[in-house]
Amino acid sequence: MVLELQKPRPIWQIMFSTHHTDVGLLYLITSLSFLFLGGALALAIRAELFYPGTQIIADSMTFNRIFTVHGTTLIFLFILPFASAVGNYFVPIMVRYKDMAYPKLNAIAFWMIPPAGALIWLGFADFTWYATPPYSIISAPGPAADMWIFGLKILGISSVLGAINFIVTILKCKHPDMSIGQVPLLAWSFLTSSLIILVAIPTFAAALLMLLTDRLGVSGFFNPAMGGDPIAYAHLFWFTFHPEVYVLVIPAIGMMYEIIPRFSRKPIYSHSSGIFAFVLLSMVSFSSWAHHMYATGMSFTEKTVFMIGTLAAVPASAMHVFNFIATMWNGRIKFATPMMWAVGGIALFFSAGAGGVVNAAMPLDFQTHDSYWVVGHFHLFVMGTIAFGSIGFLYYMFPYVTGRMYNEKMGQAHFIMSFIGAVLVFFTQHLLGLYGMPRRVYDYPPIPEWITMNQIASVGAMIIGVSMFIFLINMIYSSAKGKLADTDDPFGLGGKYYYPFEAKNPHH
Amino acid sequence: MKSIIGLFLVLAILVIIPAVNFVFAAGDEPEGYLDRRVVIWNLFYRMMTVAFTVGAVVSGTIIWLCWRFRESHPKATPTPYEKEGVW
Amino acid sequence: MGHHSNWPEWVYVGVVIALMVWVGSEAWNAERLVEHIPADAEVIKVTGQQWFWTFEHEDGTKEIGELHVKVGHAYKFEITSKDVIHSFNIHDYVVLLDAVPGRINTVWFAPKEVGEHAIQCREYCGLIHYNMRGTLFIEEDKSS
Repeated sequence: MVLELQKPRPIWQIMFSTHHTDVGLLYLITSLSFLFLGGALALAIRAELFYPGTQIIADSMTFNRIFTVHGTTLIFLFILPFASAVGNYFVPIMVRYKDMAYPKLNAIAFWMIPPAGALIWLGFADFTWYATPPYSIISAPGPAADMWIFGLKILGISSVLGAINFIVTILKCKHPDMSIGQVPLLAWSFLTSSLIILVAIPTFAAALLMLLTDRLGVSGFFNPAMGGDPIAYAHLFWFTFHPEVYVLVIPAIGMMYEIIPRFSRKPIYSHSSGIFAFVLLSMVSFSSWAHHMYATGMSFTEKTVFMIGTLAAVPASAMHVFNFIATMWNGRIKFATPMMWAVGGIALFFSAGAGGVVNAAMPLDFQTHDSYWVVGHFHLFVMGTIAFGSIGFLYYMFPYVTGRMYNEKMGQAHFIMSFIGAVLVFFTQHLLGLYGMPRRVYDYPPIPEWITMNQIASVGAMIIGVSMFIFLINMIYSSAKGKLADTDDPFGLGGKYYYPFEAKNPHH
Repeated sequence: MKSIIGLFLVLAILVIIPAVNFVFAAGDEPEGYLDRRVVIWNLFYRMMTVAFTVGAVVSGTIIWLCWRFRESHPKATPTPYEKEGVW
Repeated sequence: MGHHSNWPEWVYVGVVIALMVWVGSEAWNAERLVEHIPADAEVIKVTGQQWFWTFEHEDGTKEIGELHVKVGHAYKFEITSKDVIHSFNIHDYVVLLDAVPGRINTVWFAPKEVGEHAIQCREYCGLIHYNMRGTLFIEEDKSS
C-alpha cells in the first residue's frame, strides 16, 4: 500500500482504478475535502452566535441551511467516507487478500459519493439533518429538500454496497491460515459496523421514499393533515440512526486499537474482549433508538424500556476504555502525534458517554433535550472521539500512503489546539444547555450567561479552526516535500507489525 | 491498586449519598404539590457527583499512565515484546 | 498475547453494570414521581403554531404569547400543534414536551413562587424558531 504519491501516475489512472488503495485514496481525499467544507460552516455558525443579533449571516433561513448542511456533510461525507478510506487501505492487508472482494463494486460505492455530495451542497436544504416532518413536508422549500433526500438515498446505497464488500472480504477472503478470532481488531470493527449498516439502513431508505412521496402530495405517511403520523418517521429515522452512531464510532475505536498498542510497544491487552465488546455493542445498538424521542409524549413504560436499552450499551463501551488503559499499562509509550490523538480521544469518549447516560436517564432528558447540552454531547462523540481517532489514524497512515513523514511539531500543535478548542466549545455547550438555550437557533435573547458562554464556545471553535489550517498546510506540504519516511518503521518504534505489511498488493 | 481505591470510592458514594439524602428527606414532606424542579435537579446533581468521581478516577488513571509509562520516564524499561520486535 | 488472567476486567465490568443499575433505578423512581398528575390539576390547552403559542384556560379565556398562572395551583398542559412539530418548554420549571400535530401530550407543573419565566420552543420549526418565545407570569392567588 505504500508510496502512493512517490510513484507519480496520471490522475485518471487513480480515478478509474479499482485497486483497493486507489479507491482508498479517493475516499480519503473526498472525505478530507468535506471535512474542511463542513468545518467552515461550523465556524460560520459559531461566528453568528458570538453575540446576540445579526453578525455575519444575513437571515435565519441561511443560518438554518448552514447548520443542516454542516451536520449532513460531516456525518455522511466526512466520517463515513473516512472510515471507508481506512477500511480500503487496511482490511485487505489485514486479512491477507489481494484486494477487496468486489473491486468494481468498491469503485462504484465510492463514485456515488461525489454526486450525492453535490446534491446536498447545491441544494442546501434547511430542515436539519433529521428532516423532521411535517416541517419537511409542508414547510421546507424545494428543490433543496428533494435534492437532500436524493443525496441521502444515494449515500445510503453507497454505504450498503461498501458494507457488503467489507463483510465478504473479511469473512470469505481472509487467508485460510487465519481464524476469525485472529483477524485484527481494526478489521473486526469494520465487520461489525458493516453488519449494523446492513440491518439499519433499509429502514431509513424506506422512510426517505415515504418522505419524498409525502412531499409530492401523493401519500400522507407522515403528514397529519392526511391522517399520517410524524412520530412514525421519528421511529423509522432513529431506528436507522441510533445504530448509525455506532457505525460511526466503532471504526474510530478500531483505529485506536491499532494506534495504542503500536505506540505502547505492547500487544493489545485482550483481543478477545475487544471482539466481544464490538459484537455486543453492535447488538445493543438496536435497543435504544427511541431515547431520542422521550419528549414526543411516550408512555412511562416505553421510556423505561428504551432507558434500559440505552444503559445496556455502557458496559460494552467501558470495556474498550479498559482495554486501552490496560494496554498502555506497563508499556513504553512514545507520544508521537497519532498516540496523542488516540489518548485525547479516549478521554473525550468517556465524557461523551457520561453525558449520554444523563440524557438517557428519563427525567433528566427534559432538561437536556434539544438544548445545547445535546449539541455538546454528540459533538464530543463525533468530534472528540470519532474525528480525534480518525485524524490520529490519518497521521499514522500518512507515511505509508505518501512515503514521506508529516511535520511532527505541527502535528502536535494541531492536537493540542484541537483538544483545548474541543474542551472549550463542547463542555461550554453542555452548560449552555443547562441554562436552557435551545439548539438550532439563529439568534438568542441577550441573557448575560448565554452571551459569555457562547463567546467562550466561539473562541474555542476559532482555535480548532486555526489548528485545522495548520493541519491542512502540514498535509499538503509534507506529502510533497516532507522528509522521506522509513516505511518499515516510520515512527522509530523498533518493531514489526503483527500483520504482513510487506504484502504490498501490486496494482492490477 | 489505584483502580481499587477508586472502586471503593465509587461504591462509598453510591451508598452514602442516597442514605444521607434519605435521612434529610425524612420528616420533610412538602405540603401541597410536588416540585418537579427539586426532583429533577436532585437527580441531576447526584448523577453529576458520581459522574465526576468516576471521571476523576478514569482521567486520573489515564494521566498517571501517560506520565509513568512515557518512554522518557527515568524508570522506563523496554517491554518484553520489544526483544522479539513483534507485537 | 493473552498470558494473563482477566479478573480485573470482569470486576470493572461488574462495577459499570452496578452503576448503570443504580442510574436506571434512580431515574425510574424520579420519573415515576414527576409523571404522577394530581387529580385537581387545572387544564391549560397549549397550541403551538408557526411561530407563537396560544393558551386556553379552563374557563375559556385565551392568551397569546403570555400565560398567567397562580401560585399554589397545579396545572396540566394539554399540548398540541396546528402545523409542524414544536416543543413547549418552560426551562426554569423543567417543563418540556413536544407539540405534535394530531396528538395531545400532557405534562403538569405547580408554580411555587411569584415570578416571570421564559417560555420557548425547543424543536426546530422553521424561519422564526429562534424567536418563538413567550412569558410565563406566576401571580399571587388572590381568591383564597
